[in-house]
Amino acid sequence: MLDSILIFSILTLILGLILGYAAIKFRIEGNPLVNQIDKILPQTQCGQCNYPGCRPYAEALAKGEAQINQCPPGGQDGADELADLLGVEQIPLNTEHGETKEPMVAVVDEQVCIGCTLCIQACPVDAFVGSSKVMTTVIAKECTGCELCIPVCPVDCIDMVEIQPTLGTYIPNIKDIAHA
Amino acid sequence: MLSNIFRGGIHIPNPYPVKNPKIVKVPPPEKAVLILQQKVGGQAKPCVEVGDKVLTGQVIAGTSSQYCVPIHASISGTISAIDKQPIPHPSGIDAMCITIESDGKDKWVEKEECGADFLSCKPEQIIDKIRSAGIVGMGGAGFPTHIKVSSVKNANTLVVNATECEPGIMCDDSLMQNYPREIIRGTEILLHACSAKKAIIAIEDDKQEAFNSLLMYNHNDKITIQRIPTKYTSGADKLLIKSLLDVEVPAGKHPSDIGVLCHNVGTVKAIHDAVIDGRPLVSRIVTVTGSGVEDPKNYEARLGTSFASVVSQSKPNKQKHKIRMGGMMMGVDVNSDQYSICKITNCIFINNFEPEPQVNECIRCSSCNQVCPINLLPQQLYWSSKSESIDKALEYNLDNCIECGCCSYVCPSNIPLVDYFVFAKAVNKKQINDAERADIARQRFEYREFRIERNMSERAEMMAKKKKALKEKMAKEKQQKDKIADAIQRVSKSKENKDA
Repeated sequence: MLDSILIFSILTLILGLILGYAAIKFRIEGNPLVNQIDKILPQTQCGQCNYPGCRPYAEALAKGEAQINQCPPGGQDGADELADLLGVEQIPLNTEHGETKEPMVAVVDEQVCIGCTLCIQACPVDAFVGSSKVMTTVIAKECTGCELCIPVCPVDCIDMVEIQPTLGTYIPNIKDIAHA
Repeated sequence: MLSNIFRGGIHIPNPYPVKNPKIVKVPPPEKAVLILQQKVGGQAKPCVEVGDKVLTGQVIAGTSSQYCVPIHASISGTISAIDKQPIPHPSGIDAMCITIESDGKDKWVEKEECGADFLSCKPEQIIDKIRSAGIVGMGGAGFPTHIKVSSVKNANTLVVNATECEPGIMCDDSLMQNYPREIIRGTEILLHACSAKKAIIAIEDDKQEAFNSLLMYNHNDKITIQRIPTKYTSGADKLLIKSLLDVEVPAGKHPSDIGVLCHNVGTVKAIHDAVIDGRPLVSRIVTVTGSGVEDPKNYEARLGTSFASVVSQSKPNKQKHKIRMGGMMMGVDVNSDQYSICKITNCIFINNFEPEPQVNECIRCSSCNQVCPINLLPQQLYWSSKSESIDKALEYNLDNCIECGCCSYVCPSNIPLVDYFVFAKAVNKKQINDAERADIARQRFEYREFRIERNMSERAEMMAKKKKALKEKMAKEKQQKDKIADAIQRVSKSKENKDA
């Protein structure tokens, strides 16, 4: 009787120590759900969801403060993926937040640009290169097509253009294959 | 003969054999259109301008990356355009090209010859010569040769792929019958450059004349000439290595990772020309064949020559044609004969126009599973590719598919299986690309947030410091003022006392 109590107390003590150590050693910083949601979001950082970026939206989603259908760049597929992750019902995109568009990139008309730097300040991903009173341009590879630079430009010299397929990014049309 | 030949594959007899192995030299064209885009390795940068006079063999576009090779003028004349033109690619997207109008003289630049004494050159020098001669894999893959040669460490075997990748193509066969000496010499150069211990030239057993002529010129005991059974896809590098050496190249790895170097026989001839004669890659051998030509033949044509001017020499019939660049299995259907020959154009198929066969539903016969030379399950891949479930397709090893087309060929329902796999691969590539872009955007967004916060806190700190300094200064000034006031008071007091 006594020795079994002793054995179990020692066992409990050891396991408790291991658990306690693991809780400190493998502690997860922040909410892991936020990272999972952030991974699904398209990282356009456009703010159409009414949050100042993809991560703030992910945080709001994790807290249950936002709806899953507020991200137009993610499209319906993105919203459905979020529904799967969060275990909620799939709902259609809310058109109040904008419509899903083809991937775009900003192009500066360098002849017109006056170098006001407003676009540089507005860009959420620092995709503009320039300085005050010199011509500004876009690093196309880093532009997410969020359109936040469009309203701030005082001379309207920024255009959004669709990204054209290149030889490297061309995808055959599946409908043509099926009917071949 | 080898016993460890790979599983699957199909035997297709050559439908239009070229009887005469002679290579017909096509005269330099009036106009040459040279594509700047490489299949692997980005786009070369033009280093000439419209109106410039160029000589044959002169570099007209330089390299933009390590993988890129320079482009040489294939005729002498004047640069008439540097612009986007249609190229033989399934997308139909135009690509940058340089057009040269011939002056009819075909005058060469001065060649820097190495002569027969290549053994005194260091391997790096030879690799540099290969790069600057603009040589890429001539079998159809177009992978830059200098990268392949320099990537291999501790090479043990050099494999020269003379299997002629697809039924119908005859260019390698005629090359071996016409230039056996050059091919053996080219193999020796490669052996020297990669310091491999032995070389194997692999030939399919239906090319007896080519085998004999190579055998006659081979006096090097490091080089063996090996016949392998004629079976389609034996020319795929990993399968060839499996047949010859009985070692499997692991999925996702290259032959160079296991110390084997595999080069097409056309590439070897080009290396010979570059190193011994100092001749850059400005021409190649092209087979013209198919049901639409009376006289299938092999031609040596300058790069940039239009398909039409080569095809016209093979007596095409008057019917409507279907044109295909490359072989009957892996080639690309093109809609016109005005495209120009590029470094990877090994064959032009001219077939009489026939309506496409009716595509039916998959009957799950699993014929495709039996012929797949790399033991994939094309039927499973088909379902997941068709429904765009790329993750599922990747689980079935989509990325190991070599797009050989055996599955499509045997499918009794005429399903274009390979086209589905190409589609799924392209979608997968886009997904990877998008994920990369998203990662960059996330990092940059987070860094910007961090920077704004840091700037704000730095500013606040600076302001606090300034405020503190100002306060101290004011306190000091007040002290000073108080002292002065005190002194004035004292003086006036003492004056008053004196007056009193």
